This record gives sequence, C-alpha cells and structure tokens, in this order.
Amino acid sequence: MTIERETLEMDVLLVGAGPANLACGLHLTKLIAAYNERSKQSGTKPLDEVNIAVIEKAAEIGAHQLSGAVLDPISLRELIPDFENEGAPLEAPVGEEHVYFLSEQGKIPLPILPPPLRNHGNFVVSLNKLTRWLGEKCEAAGVNIFPEFPGTEMLYDNGAVIGVRTGDKGIDKTGNPKPNFEPGVDITAKVTVLGEGVRGSLAKQLINRLKLDAGSDPQVYSVGIKELWEMPDDRFAPGSVIHTMGWPLDSHTFGGSWVYGMRDRIIDIGLAVGLDYRDPSIDPHHEFQRFKTHPLIKDLLGGGKLIRYGAKAMPVGGWYTMPQLTSDGVMIIGDSAGLLNGERLKGIHTAIKAGMLAAETIVDALIKGDFTRNTLGVFDKKLKDSFVGSELYKARNFHQAFDRGRMFGLITEGVSVLTGGRLPSKLPIKAGHEHMRMLKADEHTDRYAGLKYDDKLTFDKLTDVYYSTTHHDEDQPAHLKVADFNICVDQCTREYGNPCQSFCPANVYEMVDAGEGKRRLQINFSNCVHCKTCDIMDPYQIIDWVPPEGGGGPNYRNM
Amino acid sequence: MNIVVCLKQVPKKDSILRIGSDGKWIDERDISYEMSEADAYALEEALRQKEKHGGEVIVVSLGPERARQSIKEALAKGADRAIHLFDSVFDTATDSAAVARAISAALKDEKYDLILTGLQSDDYGFAQVGLIVAEQLGLPSATIVMEVQPEDSAVRVKRELESGWFQWVRLPMPALLTIQSGINQLRYATLKGIMAAKKKEIREVKAADIGLTSDDLKPGQVIERAYLPEKTKRTEFIEGKPAEAAAKLVEKLRFDARVI
Ligand SMILES: Cc1cc2nc3c(=O)[nH]c(=O)nc-3n(C[C@H](O)[C@H](O)[C@H](O)COP(=O)(O)OP(=O)(O)OC[C@H]3O[C@@H](n4cnc5c(N)ncnc54)[C@H](O)[C@@H]3O)c2cc1C
Ligand code: SF4
Repeated sequence: MTIERETLEMDVLLVGAGPANLACGLHLTKLIAAYNERSKQSGTKPLDEVNIAVIEKAAEIGAHQLSGAVLDPISLRELIPDFENEGAPLEAPVGEEHVYFLSEQGKIPLPILPPPLRNHGNFVVSLNKLTRWLGEKCEAAGVNIFPEFPGTEMLYDNGAVIGVRTGDKGIDKTGNPKPNFEPGVDITAKVTVLGEGVRGSLAKQLINRLKLDAGSDPQVYSVGIKELWEMPDDRFAPGSVIHTMGWPLDSHTFGGSWVYGMRDRIIDIGLAVGLDYRDPSIDPHHEFQRFKTHPLIKDLLGGGKLIRYGAKAMPVGGWYTMPQLTSDGVMIIGDSAGLLNGERLKGIHTAIKAGMLAAETIVDALIKGDFTRNTLGVFDKKLKDSFVGSELYKARNFHQAFDRGRMFGLITEGVSVLTGGRLPSKLPIKAGHEHMRMLKADEHTDRYAGLKYDDKLTFDKLTDVYYSTTHHDEDQPAHLKVADFNICVDQCTREYGNPCQSFCPANVYEMVDAGEGKRRLQINFSNCVHCKTCDIMDPYQIIDWVPPEGGGGPNYRNM
Repeated sequence: MNIVVCLKQVPKKDSILRIGSDGKWIDERDISYEMSEADAYALEEALRQKEKHGGEVIVVSLGPERARQSIKEALAKGADRAIHLFDSVFDTATDSAAVARAISAALKDEKYDLILTGLQSDDYGFAQVGLIVAEQLGLPSATIVMEVQPEDSAVRVKRELESGWFQWVRLPMPALLTIQSGINQLRYATLKGIMAAKKKEIREVKAADIGLTSDDLKPGQVIERAYLPEKTKRTEFIEGKPAEAAAKLVEKLRFDARVI
C-alpha cells in the first residue's frame, strides 16, 4: 500500500504536551516577541513569523498526565512570575509534613525530615490540571496545539532530524485501512523537541539510532500507582503531606508512598515501586493495595470512596543516565531526557526549566539560521550549568546506592546527602530488568495470598482500570508490539513465570488457554494506561510500546 | 444546499459520574466533555451532503464556554461557521422547549434547506429539541433518520421503525431531520482542518441579541432529583436442560438486564 501523505511545515515542533514542552512553547513566544521588540528599536531585522506546533497523543491536553504531585515552584515562577494571580490551578501550599518508616503494623516517624523530602514553600498540585492550564496559555500565545496526534516516526534527512510523522488513523485490527482512513502527516520543522515524558517512543528510536546514550549509564525507572479518594469530611487538610518507606516493599525493592491532601476533601495517594526489583512475581498494583491495608492508611481512608486510578513510570536514574540531549535538528527534554530528580521525586520543575532553556537555544538558532548541533548543543551545557544540573549532580548517586538493596541505600544515601552527593566513587548501575531473578525449578510462592479485595479499601486491577477511564478503539492493531510470542509461552513461562501479567497495572497481558494444553499471550490493549512499564521491565526486552491511534488511552482528570 | 446542524456537548461516555451537592444533577467538575454521539453523526451527514451538493454547513450550539471545544471540532471537520448561544441567561434553559426557543430564535435570519439534529442527546435524552424547533419554525420534520436523499425541492429520508422495519418518506424542504447514530462513518479531524478552523467564524450570541429575556427561557419542566442507580442484588436459578437454560439466560440478559 503506498500512502499519499500531506506535509505540514512548521518552524518548531514540540512532541508531547507535558510541562516540559508547554513551558518551551510558551517561553518561545515570549522570547520571540521580546527579540522582535528589541530589533524594532535597534532597527535590525526581526524574526519572521515562527510557527510552533505541539502534538499530543491524548484526546485532550493533560489527559495523559499523572504525577504526585508536589511542585517546587522555582521554574514556574520564572516562566509566569505571577502564576498565583494568573489562575494557576494549585491545590494548596504544602502544610504539615510527615515521613514514616513502615513495618507491617507499625510506623516509625522520622524525627527530622531528610532535606530532599522537605517541601516547605512547595505546592500540592494536580499535574493534569496544571498542564491543561499551560496548554491554554500556549494556545492564547499563538502556539498550535494538536491533541489526538501522536508522533510515530522520526523523519531524517542525511542524519539530521527534519520532523516527525504522525500516526495513521482508521486502521482496522488486521492492519487494513477502514473507509474513514486518514493517513498520518509529515510535520517538518527546523527544530523538533521531544518532550514525550518517560520512555518516549520516539526518543527511544532516536537515542538508539544516533547512539545518544553511548556515554551514559542505562536509565532506571519506578512506576507510580495512584488513586484519588473522595472523603466525607475534612480529616486530611489540603496541602498535608505524608511519605512512607518500608512496608509493603521488600528490601530488594526500591520505592515509597505518598499521601497528599487536595481540595474538595480529596486524598491523593500512591506508591512508587522501583522497576529494578528481584522477585518476578512482584505486582506494583497489588503492592499498593496491600499498602492501603496498613493501619495508618486504612484509618485515613475509612469511609472514603475511590474516584480515580492510574499509573505511570518515571525515570529515576538521574545524572549519569542522561543521554546527549541534542543532535542536528533535535532536542530531548523533560522525563524523556531523564531530568527527574529521583531523590526528591520531582521532575516538573526540572522539566519546565529545561523547556525554558531549550526555548532560549531555539531562539538563538532561529536568529543564526543554524539548527545543527553546533548551535543546539549549547543546550546540553546550559542545562548542566543551571539549577537542574546542580540538583541532579548532587543526587547523582541516589538511585545507584539503592541498586544494591535498601539498607545499603539508606546508609549511602545518608552519607551522600551529608556530603552533597560525594561518595568515594561512582557506583555502577545496570538496567532494571536485569535485576529480575529467574524462578527456581518448581518454585510456587504466592506473594499475594493474603491480599483480599473488599471493594471498599482494596480493588482488583480490572475495577481499578475502570476508574482510569481508559478507552481505545478496539478495531485497531494492538499497540504493544511483541517481537516473538514463542518466548512468552515457552522460555518466559519457565524462567520468569510471565511477569508481564504482574507488572502491568492495567491487566493488559494475560496468558490464556490456547487449547491442547497450550497457552498463549493475549493482549488486552484497550486497557492500557500508557504507563510504559512493560517496555521497561520486560526481562527479554521484546515488548515495544508504540502509540495507538491518536486520542486513545486514559482520560485522567485531577491526577 | 445549506444545512444547519444543532449540536450539544455532553459528558464523555464512560465518565465517572458523581452527583452534585444539590442532588439535582451531576457534579460537572473534573469530567471531560464531547459532542453528543448522534449529533456527531448529524454533522457527518451534513458534511457528506455538502460535499455532494455544495453549500454551507452552519453549526449551532447552546452551552457554556467549554462547548467551544466541540464547536471547534465541528469546524475542523469541515463545517463553515458556527453560532454559539453563550450567555448566563441560557443557564436556566434546561428543558427541551426552552432550548428550542433559543435555537429557533437564533436561526430566524438564517437561510437553510435542512436542519439536522441528533436523535437524542446522550445526557438528558429527551429527543425533543429538534421537533420543537421544527414546530416553532413551521417546518416539516422526520425523526430517527437513517438515510438522506435530497431531491429538487424535497428530501427523501429513510426512517427506522420497530423490529427491523423501515419507512421512506418525502418532505418538502426546508425540513428538519433528527439523525440516528451510526448512519455513516465519522471522519477524523485533520491537522489542516484544525488549522483552517482557526480562521472560521464562531459568532457568540447572547439572549438579548435574539430578542429573548430570561422569562422566555424559563423551563416548564425541572429535574427534582438525580441519583445513581441503586444496586440491588437478586439471584435467580434457571432450571432446565443446558441449551434451554442458556437460551433463557440470553433472553434475560437481553430484555431484563439489557446488557447484550
Ligand atoms: C507517580 C509519579 C509521581 C510524581 N510525583 C512528582 C512530584 O510530586 N513532583 C514533581 O515535580 N514531579 C513528580 N513526578 C514527575 C513528573 O510528573 C514528571 O517529571 C513530569 O511530568 C515530566 O514532564 P514532561 O513534560 O517531561 O513529560 P510528561 O509530563 O510525561 O508529558 C509528556 C507528554 O507527551 C505525550 N507523548 C508521549 N509520547 C508521545 C508521542 N509519541 N506523540 C505525542 N505525544 C506523546 C504524553 O501523552 C504526555 O502528555 C512524578 C511522576 C510520577 C509518574
Ligand atoms: S500494557 Fe504496558 S504501558 Fe500499557 S498499562 Fe500495561 S504495562 Fe503500562
């Protein structure tokens, strides 16, 4: 089938409408206006009209955003100095804060908050609302915003990136065009910025092709499982913050929980589970359900009602895992570039700052008319010289220490915080899926035997998925591409017990009876909440997450 | 041929609904909205007719500011211009008659051959706005329309009746048709369409602009209470041979539980 494609010419193309790219788009419009104002006064040539487009795979801006979130306002303040009065959707300033180390029934409060966990001056926000608001600001400033258009392929010319192809629409499940088939469009641009968030599907293609990670450690990730609860009373004030470590995660599993108070008697609660655990039967959703049965949480949520569910991965490797951020015609920012500070569990402020710095570099490139790495490469340095660089550098050994188990992690982390990140040497790190250990012959342990779903406090996966309001057109090819199904039924069952069934928080992967005593992998792709865990944690790295038809996926509100 | 399409924005299907604090409607915070399904088919039909016969497609929507999103979607798909009835005075217009009065008033000076509406909206499901508009504008109308064939000054339409029966009727134009979901295949908005939509007119109309006051928009009918279906558990054993029991089960699922 040869497909005729239209081309849309832009100057700057931002892929992914997250805080990184929306900050980039908004800042660009301001910098361009300021430059043109200056050139009017000095009589030099202003920039021609600069066409900026943002494409986003979700049906609405913000619908695929899921975060904690406690926002460090440092960079939002720089982007929109008067953000409170301009109507930024903030839940509340952070108020009372607690950190506990949990055992199955008990809790030990940490008497002093470790500095990375101190949140005075920060705000509890819903990232999904904040993103929506930034999207409106961008649109008002003249940025073209295109929800429902995922980028599916990078376009190159002689090794330089010249834009992105968007996904075809109207393909049926056998791969043939339907009557309303709408081919994807080639959007060309002088600069393409990938701000696709964690484990970006285009970023993955680009980094592999151009070997942008040649000098860095493999990225490591955590996945956050989150629910919103509506409470009957004001028991947990907006802005209240609890973090916990320890139970229910075992000592080989990195992670911890958060509980944040939102407006309107809503409690935001979640558990981050390191995607470098050992036991292949670990199920982050189940760990989270168990977590809620701890007396501290059970009491807190008693009488409340589940109203939302979702999950999303985050990159936590930090400094040593950052790829090269630029190449000819292209830049990578935000979570796609691994700019999240894993020690503080914060990436919104670094994403916004990176977007702003990228905008500065793009304006320089537009003025010079040079979009090669010679000009764009300044961004790599600018970022490292900014607070983003110094934050990430300070935390550079944080996850690497946990890589060796929790106790080692806690001790080295303590030393590391006290010494500003200085450890005797750089700790080595390996990719998360390589930590998963193989099953011993005839190993049958049911980690979750004691876990019951009472539909009040604890919910099975399918019920939870309902609360993510996820939707995909069923008549399309699955967007989880498994390179070799034979590995699933044979080798993986034996070696790891098909962990995809456990790590996927949305019940997408199911080993089902294929008759004649055989089993096969069924992919319920329409449940997928786009968390990217399978792409990350599959021990054979044969699952490739690609964007489904535009608009498909979760519809997160207030997450 | 000029076609007016009436469209309404409704909460997205599969939304998690909560009842508002007044107990009379849902809590509208934190839910997403979309074009009501049947209206989307009405729009698609209008665009297809325009592609065949030329003319203009004008969309009309009464709703709060967020309704602009659905209006823009219609323009991106190919409608030519839009009228947005947007005024706090319209907030009280919650029954079909009041909404229809506003739409009819807004269309008074428009030239059209057809007015299309969805069969019924996905939220209230009254299925009446279109018919009342037709009455107020003195137009012939047909409901549950499955196919539209314009002729010189008339339009032939196929209507869906009960149990697989259809009916063809001919109406003089201008006429109003209420469109059944699924009569065509919806198109996708294209990037170029979205860009082009930015330059299209969305005329905001206030009640006073069309000579209406809040008295004209008083609803004759109000919602007393909104509540989620109350769950009751009932267990029933179906006796008989497996094949018979299965048939009975299917029947129950279809007609009692209405799940298949
Ligand atoms: C559970 C959890 C808790 C967190 N808690 C906090 C916190 O408390 N404080 C904090 O500061 N940070 C927190 N973070 C991190 C923070 O959310 C991220 O660092 C931040 O969202 C990164 O922004 P971004 O713009 O890079 O990416 P994202 O916010 O992920 O946005 C990327 C966007 O790109 C879209 N996209 C992806 N691929 C494509 C494609 N191919 N085509 C089109 N669109 C595409 C996605 O749909 C998405 O909308 C948390 C993250 C998680 C997962
Ligand atoms: S299929 Fe993969 S990306 Fe989708 S929800 Fe499951 S683990 Fe996440």
